[in-house]
Amino acid sequence: MTSRVFRALITFGGLVALAVALSSCDVGGLHPIFPNPVSPNGQDIYNTYLAISVPAIVIFVGVEVALLWVVIRYRRSRQPVGYIPPQVHGNTPLEVVWTIIPLIIVLAIAGYSFGELQRDFQPISNEQMDITVSGHQFGWDYDYQNGVVVHQEGTLAGDVTPFVVPTHTLVKLRFRGTDVIHSWWVPAISGKTDAVPGYDNFSWLKIDQVGTWRGECAELCGVGHSTMQIIVQSMDQADFNRWMDQQKAGASPSASPSASPK
Amino acid sequence: MATTVLPRPKAYDDTFFKPISLWLTTTDHKLIGIMYMVTGILSFVIGGIFALIVRLQLSQPNLKVVDPETYNQLISAHGVTMIFFFVTIFLTGIANYMVPIMIGARDMAFPRVNLLGFWLVPVSILLYYSGFFTGGALNAGWTGYAPLTEKAYNSHSLGVDFWALSIIVWAISGIMASTNFLTTIVALRAPGMKFSRLPLFVWAQISTSILLLVVGAPLAAAMILLEFDRQLGTQFFTTAGRPVLYQHLFWFFGHPEVYIMILPGFGMISEVIPVFARKPIFGYMSMVAALFGIVFLSMTVWAHHMFTVGMNTYVEGFFMLMTMLIAVPTGIKFFNWIATTWWGSVEFTVPMKFAFGFLATFLIGGLTGIYLASVPVDTQLHQSYYVVAHLHYVLFGGSVFTIMAGIYYWFPKITGRMLGRVLGEWNFWTLFIGFNGTFLIMHTLGLEGMPRRIATYANEAWAATNAIITISSFLIAVSVLLLLINIVRSWSSGEIAGNDPWRANTLEWATTSPPPPYNFERVPPVRSFMPLRDLRESGEIVEEPTPVPV
Repeated sequence: MTSRVFRALITFGGLVALAVALSSCDVGGLHPIFPNPVSPNGQDIYNTYLAISVPAIVIFVGVEVALLWVVIRYRRSRQPVGYIPPQVHGNTPLEVVWTIIPLIIVLAIAGYSFGELQRDFQPISNEQMDITVSGHQFGWDYDYQNGVVVHQEGTLAGDVTPFVVPTHTLVKLRFRGTDVIHSWWVPAISGKTDAVPGYDNFSWLKIDQVGTWRGECAELCGVGHSTMQIIVQSMDQADFNRWMDQQKAGASPSASPSASPK
Repeated sequence: MATTVLPRPKAYDDTFFKPISLWLTTTDHKLIGIMYMVTGILSFVIGGIFALIVRLQLSQPNLKVVDPETYNQLISAHGVTMIFFFVTIFLTGIANYMVPIMIGARDMAFPRVNLLGFWLVPVSILLYYSGFFTGGALNAGWTGYAPLTEKAYNSHSLGVDFWALSIIVWAISGIMASTNFLTTIVALRAPGMKFSRLPLFVWAQISTSILLLVVGAPLAAAMILLEFDRQLGTQFFTTAGRPVLYQHLFWFFGHPEVYIMILPGFGMISEVIPVFARKPIFGYMSMVAALFGIVFLSMTVWAHHMFTVGMNTYVEGFFMLMTMLIAVPTGIKFFNWIATTWWGSVEFTVPMKFAFGFLATFLIGGLTGIYLASVPVDTQLHQSYYVVAHLHYVLFGGSVFTIMAGIYYWFPKITGRMLGRVLGEWNFWTLFIGFNGTFLIMHTLGLEGMPRRIATYANEAWAATNAIITISSFLIAVSVLLLLINIVRSWSSGEIAGNDPWRANTLEWATTSPPPPYNFERVPPVRSFMPLRDLRESGEIVEEPTPVPV
């Protein structure tokens, strides 16, 4: 009788798992994957994630089904009375097989990932624009190397000064830490890059559409950590030039950080 | 054929009510083991309360249950308590109790070192919590990254100093325990207990002890250098120094620590599954080899926690490859466990349910580990709620489920009484559902861009998911409460277990429950890695009458 209760609970657990799986399919704000990437390096990460998912899902389903099969088929109440299981101590060819196959799978995943790593994670030298991003407690400064600096002081609500980039432009981002370690992360663009005191760290972006994307600091940096919000805004070249001219005009009297909202 | 008659000494059932002076001075590995385990469970409860406050704070956007500074102290205390004071300590306790009996020894090799090692644990715990009463405890996460923990950014309290001292004491205690385990297992095995016949739990303890022995010192070194920075004005990890050096030292300990927390669990599962499947463990030698494969690989993967700090891509490639290779020995263990149950006569007692709960959930932690090991993908997932979900699938689905299996499996041996089955079933199902409800959907939060360790958030899109997580986390709390009630009730009035209630394979079940202070009147002969089963089959041990299964 207890086994019947157990079976009912297993069915129930399966339904719960199914419900969770279904609800994660982009319903009700739950996404099974990152936001649609807008920069090629983000797109490559997205593709790598999908590529790893193929073997991962196959292994997941295979192992869980095997476990369920044991639960259903080999439970004592399903075996004949007095059943004595075969006393198997191992099977060398079988053990070799399930050593070699996972080895091949992880080598393939590592190889694929390494290719992507070489493609997108080297410091670039063919950039059309070079911007220094420095993190501080609690905000970001974006230095356009022409006297213009955008001060993005943090607020919890996220209504921060946008970091503006032109579209169709390969922008090199040079990260610097000025106090503790911060990490710049806008999921729709690409992965995160740490801003560490003492050396420069690099990333890049190239956005081909006009829009606004949000992110925030991903490395615990003190009491204001959750206020270190990021907004990246891309404009087409003409709008960007107009914006840059305004910045130059506005910034020349005094480049004080108090111009940004606190 | 000689029949080993094992008389049942009286009056060991009241062990727990022995005078306090005995508890304070005992060198009996079993009493020390119980004290370790009780300390671990208390820490589990305290660390769980920290987590519940954190979950309340995150249940909806813009909440102010606690202020950001307190929040940062709570997440740090949750991590430190669970990792250093619960899982590691509880596992040391269960090994302290079981390893000498499983190898047929009378006690640990160095009983007084054992005593000292244990009593350093409360010292370490009190040092850490002292921070709360001196202006605020550690507030930089359990990892305590410099320079956030440096004087320049953290001078308002002594919390960081107390944490560093606490961890140094903890590391010394761990090194003592590891030395003791290794010496005991090498030197005090019973006649016939060759290395090739050691129970897999003992093998797991060997590998764990080697790991802690190797990585405990670098951890202490990191803490000592940090204290030099804070108190003597050196510049090791300051903004002017090399903050990333701290991460290297910390994670050289920190990643093997994950295996210190899971390998004993692997060992317990390797004991539980064969007993309830009524089959020998499948591939004993490959299980041992896989343990040592993991030990070796785990010391070559630490920088996978640092893929966003800007290392050379070839270095990152190395750490990625080594990390992914750990999937191979872990896979071997998984397949061997499943093969052990295949064609078996599997009895789903509570410990076996927890063992299967472990297999079903730890798998998810293992697979998300592959995503995280891939450097490009990791730059997205790192420090997000995806990582929080992953690490809880490894440490909760892994360590906690195996610990629960161990508690239900060995409680009869330790106390002489069975843990209640009905409460145990409730305990399992509430934990299984609560755990998956809490951590499964957490993956999606990370993918959507919610970083970990943020004190609050304004994004309404994350509200519903966070609310479900918080509700589920309280189901976990209910489950832990059921466990505590079950332990207290069963310890005082549970069903009497007898020597060998599970018809198990290993030596601890050959003595009485609980065992006498000297463990065995006469150590039974050991002829294979399942000595007790051999004795049953040869008729040298008379089985106690057990009720016929329905």
